[in-house]
Amino acid sequence: MVLDLTMSMAILALMGALATIAGCLEDLESDVGSQSNPNSQVQLAPQMNFLHRIYNKAISGEPISNGLSAVTGGIVTTVLLNAKFFPLLAIVVGAFIAAIIYGIFATTSYAGRVASQTRFKQPLYMDIMRYTTPSIIAHNFVVCFCLVAIAYIQYAVLGYPFTIPFLALIWGISVGAIGSSVGDVHYGGEREFQNREFGCGLNTALSGRIVRRAESGLRNSIDNVWFCAKFGGPATGIGLGLTVFFSSWPTTIWGYTWTAIGVGVFIVAIMAVMNRLVEIQVKNAYGPYKEDKTEKEAGA
Amino acid sequence: MSDIKEISPNTLALFGIIGGLIGIYLSPLYPPFTSTFGALGAICAVIWGAEAVRRVAKYGLGTGVPSIGQIAMGMGIIAAMFGLAIVKAMPLAGPIVSLITASVIGFIIGWFAQNVIKMKIPVMIRCMTEIAAAGALVIIGFSAAVAGSYDFTRSLIPLVFDNGVMLAVFWVGAMAMLHPFNACLGPDEKQKRLLYLAASTGAITMAIIGIAAVMTLGASGVITLLLGIILWLIFYKKFWDEVYKDAAAVVGTGLIPKTEA
Repeated sequence: MVLDLTMSMAILALMGALATIAGCLEDLESDVGSQSNPNSQVQLAPQMNFLHRIYNKAISGEPISNGLSAVTGGIVTTVLLNAKFFPLLAIVVGAFIAAIIYGIFATTSYAGRVASQTRFKQPLYMDIMRYTTPSIIAHNFVVCFCLVAIAYIQYAVLGYPFTIPFLALIWGISVGAIGSSVGDVHYGGEREFQNREFGCGLNTALSGRIVRRAESGLRNSIDNVWFCAKFGGPATGIGLGLTVFFSSWPTTIWGYTWTAIGVGVFIVAIMAVMNRLVEIQVKNAYGPYKEDKTEKEAGA
Repeated sequence: MSDIKEISPNTLALFGIIGGLIGIYLSPLYPPFTSTFGALGAICAVIWGAEAVRRVAKYGLGTGVPSIGQIAMGMGIIAAMFGLAIVKAMPLAGPIVSLITASVIGFIIGWFAQNVIKMKIPVMIRCMTEIAAAGALVIIGFSAAVAGSYDFTRSLIPLVFDNGVMLAVFWVGAMAMLHPFNACLGPDEKQKRLLYLAASTGAITMAIIGIAAVMTLGASGVITLLLGIILWLIFYKKFWDEVYKDAAAVVGTGLIPKTEA
């Protein structure tokens, strides 16, 4: 389908918006179940005698698990589109089935992992199972809906030569990778170890000694989402949204030309410089070098 | 864990290979109604593969379980496509050639991991060979369930590759194989619970494949879908029975039990 510039930009903006929502919800979904990097500490905690009431959702890493839900959604959507369903309904039903299957995988990993920690006396809390799993399913439904919608737009409107399951899978892997690298820090470093000095790093002796008590009562996974929704989730959303936007913007404006490639390289260069500046600033503000210096002074 | 009676790896390998091959060879008999057997054969291979993943991933590769599942399917899909495509004159030999090719690829990768990267995992070579072979059977089995036959050019390319169903076979099949051990990881992991979970994840994959088969084969895909759901219900229930038996305590709610910390 050939689109004019205004329409192309509208499509691009829609894709960017969908990606932002998907990225944000993906990170929060991984935080509901303590997936990915922070999962290792939740898994380790009972071993250190730190029994907890936190969901242990170990459906592999985020890229693989989100790829699973996205490709399932993509397949079901393809089947329904083939049966002449309306696209929106097809995507909704596809995302729903994918989210349910994802939820099933989540229950088995929580139950399985806790049952494999018998010697540490970690109990399996069924109330956690009952009210956390629907939250995982709901978050994943939105993620899957957004990703399959992006795949559908690329396939049907932009005329990409790939199938919907393929595009959805690539987006699932991307959202998982970005969620894992951008958002996890907020849950792992800042939430599980919030009683330690910020930026102190994770000493081996601290492994598994996660915070288990909340502002009121015992901490559970819903408390963690509440915390991560303040910064980690939105940051991930912006991460994926900008990735989608900046990777498609040059070709939308200049078409598939060398100018577009040049602009793309320029964007990457600017990003690299900005990243370096942020890194230097953060190191100056919180980095270990400062601590060493004060220690040296104290020693002197 | 020596006091607990476990099914031996050889028995499971036989179960996976024979069950997988029987399922795959039965699938094109009365098309499209027998295509479901392909998925049943693939579940046998999933169970075998999950146990092989368990044995190799037990050596402290806690974070490497998903990678093992993915490499299994990576080796499996290359071998499956090669084996099915190369035997043009004798399509019957396809699955067996794929199985042998997968074993060879798995053996080579296992040998490299053991002797070049020097991972020093005693079961590495054997388990890599097993998971590659299981991966190939999973790919062929589920593909045959979608396409109604394992004929590469006439069935698999138009009905599995062109419409993107292969990605679901690949990705969900890998999850079916890697998830059981990943989900049961821990010092008190038990083989029985893992095998039930493997059958349950295999059955979920079968249900998804059934949905895809509704598109490619019409109403007979519903058989695969329904049978997948029924098998899933049975094995999911059995998995939960084991969880209730194995867990330290299954409680409705409650405070954290007192420990020394």
